[in-house]
Formats: sequence, C-alpha cells, structure tokens
Amino acid sequence: MPFLLKKKKSLIILVVLIFFQLILISIQVPLDREESYFEKAIFSIFSPVQHGIVYFFQKIGNIWKNYFYLRNVQDQNEEMKKEMFFLLQENNLLRTAMQKYKSEKEIRDTLSKIHKNILPARVIGFDASNFYKSATINKGALDGIRKNMVVLDKHSNLVGRVIEPISFKEARIQLVTDSESGISVFSQKEKVPGVLTGDAKGQCFLNYIEITDEEVKEGGRVITSGFDGIFPPGINVGEILSVIPSTSLFKTIKVKPFFEIRNLDHVAVIMLDINEFF
Amino acid sequence: MRDFIEITLGIVIALIFYTVLAKISISLIQIFNVFSLVIIYFALDKGEIYGACIGTFCGLIQDSFSLGVFGVAGIAQTIMGFTAGYISRKINVLPLRRNFLFIFVLVGFELLLWALLYSFIFSETINTGKGLIFFQPLSTALLGSILFILIRKFKNLASKQNK
Repeated sequence: MPFLLKKKKSLIILVVLIFFQLILISIQVPLDREESYFEKAIFSIFSPVQHGIVYFFQKIGNIWKNYFYLRNVQDQNEEMKKEMFFLLQENNLLRTAMQKYKSEKEIRDTLSKIHKNILPARVIGFDASNFYKSATINKGALDGIRKNMVVLDKHSNLVGRVIEPISFKEARIQLVTDSESGISVFSQKEKVPGVLTGDAKGQCFLNYIEITDEEVKEGGRVITSGFDGIFPPGINVGEILSVIPSTSLFKTIKVKPFFEIRNLDHVAVIMLDINEFF
Repeated sequence: MRDFIEITLGIVIALIFYTVLAKISISLIQIFNVFSLVIIYFALDKGEIYGACIGTFCGLIQDSFSLGVFGVAGIAQTIMGFTAGYISRKINVLPLRRNFLFIFVLVGFELLLWALLYSFIFSETINTGKGLIFFQPLSTALLGSILFILIRKFKNLASKQNK
C-alpha cells in the first residue's frame, strides 16, 4: 500500500490541486458575487509588484527623457500636458452641468468642486484573460478610491468604473467593453434610451432599442444618461457603428467606444458620487 | 530553500515580462505566454509535482489579474505543468527541435484547455485579438526553446568556472 501511494503521489497531488481549484470556482457561483478574500489577497500581493515594475521602467524612461533629451522643454511639456489633462476633463464634464445652473456663483462652486475631485491615474496592467474586460490602475484605497467611481480617458471619454479588488495603492477597473458591464445611455441627438454592454472584443451593443424606433442611426453619438445611478449624465461613450434590424423586438446596434485601449495610459478617476455631481 | 528562491525569481521575471510586454503593446500578451514558459522550465528541471504546483500558482496569479472566475487559468496551467514534467521524464526533450515541438504542443494544449473552460464558464468565446492568439504556441515555443538553450549554456559555463 505505501509503495502504491508513493508511486501515485504525483497523481494524487495533481488531483488535489485540481480539486482545490474546482472548489474555488464553485464558491464563486453565481458569477456576480464579490471577489473572495483569497483573490483579494493574491491581487494585493502581486499588483504592487506590477506597480513597481511600471514605476521602475517609467523612472528609467524619465531619466532618459529628462537628462539626455531637451530637459527644459520636456519639463514644460509635461506641465502643459498635466494642465491640459485637467482642462479637458473639466471642460467636458461641465458642458452639461453649466446649462443647468443660473447663477455665476453656483457655476464657480461646481467648477472648483470638480477640479478637486479629478484624480489622475496610470494604467499599470490589463486583464490577463481578455484585455477588453478590465485593467489595473496605480491608485488605490489610500488615494481615496472607492467602488463604482467613474473612470475617463484623457479626452474625457468613458472608460469604465472602479470595481473590487481595491488594494492600498492599486485598483481594478471594469471597462465598458466587458460583456458583464451595463451602462444606462441614450443617443445624444434623439435622446433614445438604452443599455450599453460590451462584447468583450473591443466593441459594445446598445440594447433595448425597439425595432419600430427609426430615430437611432449609424454615426450617432451615445452618451451616459445617469439613470443607472453610477455614471453621471452627459459623458461621451461611443459612436453607433451599425444598426441591424432583427426578427426580435429589439434592434441589434453596435457601438464603437471612443476610448482606445491601445492608447490607454493615463486615466482620470472622478472621485465624486453621482448624487454629489450635478 | 534554493528551489523556493529559484521558483520565486522565475515567477517574478515572468511577471516583469508580462507587464513590460503589455506596456509595449497590448497584443504582445496574447502572442507570448511567459507564465507557461516558467512552468515548463521548472517542470523540465524539477519534475511533474513542481510543474503542477507552479502551474497552480502562476494560473492563480493570472486569474487575480483577470475579471471573472478565479481558478480557470489555474486548472489549465496545473494540468499543463504536470503533463510537461511527466512527458519530460519519459522522453528527452532537451534538443532544440524537440524542445520547440514540446513547448509548441504544451502551450497549444494549455490554450485549448483554457479556451474550453472559459467558454464553458462564461458562455462566451475568447478574445482572439483578430487571430493573434493562435500564434501564441508558435511564438512562445520559439522564444522558449531559444531561452532554455541559452539558460542551459549559461549554467554550464558557470559550473565550469566554479570547478
């Protein structure tokens, strides 16, 4: 018997390991439940490593840029880029807000509130199973990041929202292109409401637009409506690529998001809750 | 203790490569599976038990960087690690061509296993990145076989110098 056990030892270990992971998978059903402490722990251990690697290479890159290549011009450029980053965010977010306020004081107050609540962050990693699903940013609980905070790209287009796990200095964001995401939107011009979900392949579907609805057309812009209680209204999301009539009640509408995953480096996290927003 | 340090170092190097590749171009993480290379390397070096354990660990790291069910990549990597160690005890896979073929088959097998599990659990097909992911076995095998030869040569040189 001991001989048999010794012979089969490797096979037993394999079965135990697979069984352990099957249990891990089964305790996560249904899929939308919160991350396990085990997953949070692994994320908290390895995301700082990823953070460190990006920081290291960023520093190496900066040394090259700053000391060997037009140092002063580079510094000025960096400053202006930072300023432009904030201005772009403010400009777009306030465009909708300003129309709603009458007094100049109210406009000034909102402007200052929003400026204080934009947190620039850097994307340090992408989803290992499918990069259209999620990404990791270098800001976490210590920076004030909380679940459901809205994330925009440098042109103020919607990227996604903060989800768990959130470690001290890193957080995960769910991208709008994830098939599990759902955002309340409407077409900017016609104000036809719908729900946007990702296809996990870089594009999105605009759902629940009835086949009798003739107003939604190709080339139209899609913006957030704010009805979901997470995303503030008026944020640019994407452009309608195709409208395909189907035999079901609803049309099949493809939307190309404005944010470019390949250029997703710096993002802005909006630290305000939707209720504090407008 | 030495084994533990070596394995940890290998995983950290894989993590560095993974992060750097994603920073250079996001498509590169679909073309090269660096975690699989670490698993195969240690499975060849230390056997199937190590292969399975490192496979579990690397898979869980990959899963922790993914949104969704924790353990999917883990199972695929565990089976691949075990298979790599088991086959390498039966067949000599160290020569360059055999090594290339060995990694090619294993990475292809792991990709297939992962895609099946992923489709089964998420009820959706994997993101193929316009077909780029199908190059993963080939490019990973090419990179792996060259790297393994270089590591072996470096180790031989170091041991000769020590003598």
